[in-house]
Amino acid sequence: MSDPKTMRYICLVPTGLLVLLIVGVLAGLSIQLPLSRTLDTLASAEIRSALRLTLLTSGAATIVAVILGVPAGYFLARNAFRGKLFIDTLIDLPMTMTPLVAGMGLLFVLSHESVRHTLDVLGIELLLSPYGAILAQVLIAAPIMTRTSRSAFAALDRRYEQAAQTLGLRPRQVFIRISLPMARPVLLSGMVLCWARAVGEFGATLMVAGATRFRTETLPIAVYLNMSSGELGLALVCAWLLIMTGFGVLLVMRWIGSPLWADGPPERIGA
Amino acid sequence: MRKLKLLVFGALFSLALGTCQGAWAGGLHIYAGAGLRQPVDRLVQAFETQTGQRVFIDYGGSGQLLTKIEALGQGDLFIPGALFYITQLEMMGKIRSYRPIVKHTPVIGVNIHQTGRVTTLSDLARAGIRLALGDPKAMALGRTALSILERSGKKDAILKNVTVYGATVKQLALYVSQGVVDAAIIGRADVFQSRAKIAMVPIAKEYFEAEIVAAAVLHCSANPVLAEKLSKHLSSHQAMAVFRQYGFLPLDE
Repeated sequence: MSDPKTMRYICLVPTGLLVLLIVGVLAGLSIQLPLSRTLDTLASAEIRSALRLTLLTSGAATIVAVILGVPAGYFLARNAFRGKLFIDTLIDLPMTMTPLVAGMGLLFVLSHESVRHTLDVLGIELLLSPYGAILAQVLIAAPIMTRTSRSAFAALDRRYEQAAQTLGLRPRQVFIRISLPMARPVLLSGMVLCWARAVGEFGATLMVAGATRFRTETLPIAVYLNMSSGELGLALVCAWLLIMTGFGVLLVMRWIGSPLWADGPPERIGA
Repeated sequence: MRKLKLLVFGALFSLALGTCQGAWAGGLHIYAGAGLRQPVDRLVQAFETQTGQRVFIDYGGSGQLLTKIEALGQGDLFIPGALFYITQLEMMGKIRSYRPIVKHTPVIGVNIHQTGRVTTLSDLARAGIRLALGDPKAMALGRTALSILERSGKKDAILKNVTVYGATVKQLALYVSQGVVDAAIIGRADVFQSRAKIAMVPIAKEYFEAEIVAAAVLHCSANPVLAEKLSKHLSSHQAMAVFRQYGFLPLDE
């Protein structure tokens, strides 16, 4: 059993099975894809609108997730306080929640009389609008950014930060000039992961923004609507657009060369 | 200790696998519209007790279920929210027989705090009303709603008030009950089941033809006799009483 060759074969079987499963899924999706109609479908106004909206909402959601997640991750990595375990777990919670449930929670909060009145006074339209889609995606993606940032900052060698402080840099300057650049590869891959999650988000978006064609119809919602109306070809083209987006994102991650996705074990950054 | 852990893990895995296999072994497999869940659950439970046969129900949007039946080519009975879906399968030669059960009547569901503002179909055209409709391609009630608006002669004015289209009737009912919109064209049964939060405004009969809920025995059924028996059970007088409890109306009413 300890023979390296035997071990290699033992590992090869599950690897092969996993690859077979994924290839099987992709093959299943390609068999049904109406190739002759693909170009027409891609050019259709509905698909172009869904793609544009998906890119816009997921891009905006990623920016908000970074703005919220990076400082939150830094705070959690650098501070010990009473109830930290609870807060830490709470921030992770949306990752384990069914997005549909998270969306329902958002819907209940935003439709509450007092919240709705406040938003109306401020002129902010979140429910049933593309902004609602962004908010739903933030709820699902921001915990990923927080988790990634927390790991990135926790892995940094604090001596660099301490040295910078003794040389006269203020904490904010240390964060911007030392911590952020050192954690950049992991943060970038976290950002890409966040974006990928936002692109594929369905349940929460459906609840908060609705499924209005040409208004709140993102690609995952287009897949669902077209599946429900029996337009399987259209649904599959949207699905392939999503798959290709995901594939592109993973390629970018490898290109970034993040320690999260590199072949070897993660190294202690700055060590 | 390690052996014990392996043993426990193995036992749990076998149990999980066994349960999954059990779920697909024998009995009847039916596909039913998600909006019919409560009455169908009760009636199927009674059928299981009577016959001693297991019935596995796959709930979902009728359109999604149609796609699933097309792709899988398996299952015994199909109970969508509208006859339209059965007709689609019938044209493909996938239906053995079908039996109408109840009517799916469209009504205007109005948020309980907005009842003064919407009392007729025409009120949906009033400025400031926030209306939700079903996606006409994805939902049977979405198509029905559009045809109601066309017959009312106020389609354009009413469509201007549509703030959202939904993918399922339950999603629309949730928007109304939460006050996200003032009103929506939904099923009578959906309003009936949320009557504490949604008021019902009937739509004149000349504006629509009620959708028919029917049970269709599929050609691919492995047990057509038992499937037919269940179909009969679902359309019996006793079944009608159960459907009525959830707001559905008999075909002759």
